[in-house]
Amino acid sequence: HSTDFSSTAEMPDYVVKYTPLVSMDQRQSYKDDFNAEYDEYRLLHARVETITRRFTQLDARCRKLTRGTKEYQKVHEEVLKEYKKIKQHSPNYHEEKQRCEYLHNKLAHIKRLIADFDQRKAQAWC
Amino acid sequence: PVEGSGDANCVDEILKEMTQSWPPPLTAIHTPCKTEPSKFPFPTKVSIPQSSVVL
Repeated sequence: HSTDFSSTAEMPDYVVKYTPLVSMDQRQSYKDDFNAEYDEYRLLHARVETITRRFTQLDARCRKLTRGTKEYQKVHEEVLKEYKKIKQHSPNYHEEKQRCEYLHNKLAHIKRLIADFDQRKAQAWC
Repeated sequence: PVEGSGDANCVDEILKEMTQSWPPPLTAIHTPCKTEPSKFPFPTKVSIPQSSVVL
């Protein structure tokens, strides 16, 4: 299990590829790269978000109920049903989630570099 | 094994796995600054009336 967003033992490829900006041309090219993957990222993100929300709701219901009761059992069955549904409809859910986490970190990195550049430029003007 | 305990463990595992916190999405990059050349308020070409150039 290495789904922690900040666990980067080795340097990710995008950190090597995207270094601090020095020109407006570079800014544009970084932004183009960001936009090229942004739609895919948002799509994956929304999908994972919906599924996570659904299970968080089920989890909250489980926590309110006493183990072994009928209602508890019912919620458990719902969890299993939902999980099976995901396995069927999106067998690549885990890969998609990992891809989304990778994109999240990558795009956040690019965005941060652009924001740093903009800030440096704004300060240079004052 | 106790009846149903396998299922229960399984459900606990599923819930643990599927409820991992998920950060809000990154917002898009907005166009930066006042320097955006296309938004420059003054026209770059001043149209000169033809009659004054051509004799």
